[in-house]
Amino acid sequence: MHHVVLERWSRGTSPLHRRDPRAKLLALGVFLVTLATARRNLPILAPALFAFLAAGLLRARIPAASALLRAGVVFSFTLPFAVISFLTGDPARAAAMLVKSYLSALAVLLLVSTTPVPVLLRGLEAIGAPRFLLMVAQFLYRYLFVISEEAQHMRKAALARGATTRATVARHANFQAAGGAVGALFARSYARAEDIHRAMLARGFNGRFPAAEPLRFARADAVFAAAATLAPVLARLAAERVA
Amino acid sequence: MHIPDGFLSTPVWAAMDVAALPAVAVAVRRAQRSFEDSRIPLLGVMGAFVFAAQMINFPVGVGTSSHLVGGALLAFTLGPAPACVVMAAILAIQSLVFQDGGMLALGANVFNMAIAGVFAGYLPYHWFGNGPWRRSAIFAGGALSVLVSAMLALTELLLSHTPIPRAALGLSGVVFLISAVLEGAITLAVAQSLETIQPNFIRRPAERRFAATTLGAAAVLLAAVGVVFASTAPDGIEKITRVQAADTTTWLGKAEAGLAGVALIYAVCLAIGRVVARHRSA
Repeated sequence: MHHVVLERWSRGTSPLHRRDPRAKLLALGVFLVTLATARRNLPILAPALFAFLAAGLLRARIPAASALLRAGVVFSFTLPFAVISFLTGDPARAAAMLVKSYLSALAVLLLVSTTPVPVLLRGLEAIGAPRFLLMVAQFLYRYLFVISEEAQHMRKAALARGATTRATVARHANFQAAGGAVGALFARSYARAEDIHRAMLARGFNGRFPAAEPLRFARADAVFAAAATLAPVLARLAAERVA
Repeated sequence: MHIPDGFLSTPVWAAMDVAALPAVAVAVRRAQRSFEDSRIPLLGVMGAFVFAAQMINFPVGVGTSSHLVGGALLAFTLGPAPACVVMAAILAIQSLVFQDGGMLALGANVFNMAIAGVFAGYLPYHWFGNGPWRRSAIFAGGALSVLVSAMLALTELLLSHTPIPRAALGLSGVVFLISAVLEGAITLAVAQSLETIQPNFIRRPAERRFAATTLGAAAVLLAAVGVVFASTAPDGIEKITRVQAADTTTWLGKAEAGLAGVALIYAVCLAIGRVVARHRSA
C-alpha cells in the first residue's frame, strides 16, 4: 500500500523532519500559491521551484527517484488535458498544466514524507482546523490499511470464485451479491468501530488525544519558515523581472 | 481522480476555498451535536470503509474507469452533516497522503463532493425515504450525488478555461451518467443488504427540515445552472474580465445546448419532486 512507504519516510530524523509542522505548512502554502498564481516565465520559475523541492528531498534523505515517481501519479489526470491543449494550439497552457500540477504534488509529498500524519494533523489543529474533522481523519488513516486489506481479501475471494466485473454488472443476482458483500464489509467495519469505541472508553478516552510532547516553535523553525517562504517568492519575482 | 492544482484559475480555486471553509465548519458543528467526541472512531472507520470501497475501480466501458464515491451512502447511514465531515476527511487524506487532488483545489473538491454531493444525494431520501418510493429514493440519491459533484467539477474546469472539446464534453456527459447509474445501483444494493443485516443502519429521514431541503435543492440547482453558465462562459467572462480567449469555436454552442438540456431535465425533476412531496404531505 502506498501510504506504508510514506509512513516509513515520515519517521526519519533529518533536520527537515524535526521542523515544526506549522512552519512546514506555511512554507507549503506560500509555495503552492506562488506556483498557482504564476503566469509569466514559467520556464524559468519552474526549474527553480523544482530545485528547491529536490534540495528538500535530499536534505530530508528521502529516496529522490521514488518520490519523483510517486508525485507523477498526478499525470494520469493531467496528461489527457495537456494533450488536448497541445492539439488545440496552446502548448504553453499544456506545459503549464503539467508542470504546475506535478510540482504541487511533489511539494505536498515532501511535506507528508517529512511529517508523520498525527504530527501533521496536530499542526493543522494548531493553525485552526476543526479538531473534530482532524480526529475523524486520524482514525480514518489509522484504519485505512485494516479495512482495505479486508476489502482486498473479499475481492480476491470473489475472483477465486470466478467473479468478473462484467458478470457482476450483467445479472441482477450477481449485483445484489456484490452489494451484499460490500454491505457485509460495512457491517463488520461498523462493529469493529463500536468495539474500538468501547475499548477506548474503557481506557478513559474522552475525545481528545493528550499530546506526548506539545508543539514547540523554536528559532530553527522560524529561520526555516522565513527561508522557505522567501525562496519561492524571490524566485518568482526574479523570473518575472527577467522577462 | 479529483481536480489537481494548476487546473483551476485563481479566482475559481480561491472562491471555492472560501465557499468550502464555512460550509465545513457548519457541518462539523452540526455533526458534533449528533456524534459526541467519543464516537469519533465510528466516523473514522466509516470513512476508511468508503475510502477502501473507492479504491475498487470498475471499467465504465469507454476506456475510463469509475469508482464508488459513497457520499449518499454515508448520508443515509450517518446523517448528512456527519457524512459531510467524513467525506471532507476522506478528501483531505486523499490529497495529503495520496496526492489525489490538489491542496489549493481541496476547497473545490470538498465543495463538489463533500458538501454539494452529499446534500444533493440526501435530498431524494429526505423527501421520499419514508414512503413506498424508498428504494427509488435511495437509487436517485446515489445517482444525484455523483451527477452533481461531476457537474460542479466540470463547471469549475470550464470557468477556468480548461480546454475541453465538444467530443470530450459529450463523452464526459455519457461517463457521468453511467457512473451516476452505477453509483445509484451500488448504493441501493448496499443499502438493501444493510437493512437485512441490521435494520437501523439506515436511519429514517427526519421530519421535513427546511435546511436539508434547501441545501439539497440548492446543490442540484447550482450544478445545473453552473454548467449552463460555464459553457457560455468564455464570452461572458471575457467581457467581465477583459481577457483574451484562447479559442472560441462553434462546438461551444452545441455543447451549451446539450448541457442546457440536462439542466432543464434537472429543473423539471426538481419541480415535479416538490409538487409530489407537497401533495403527499397534504
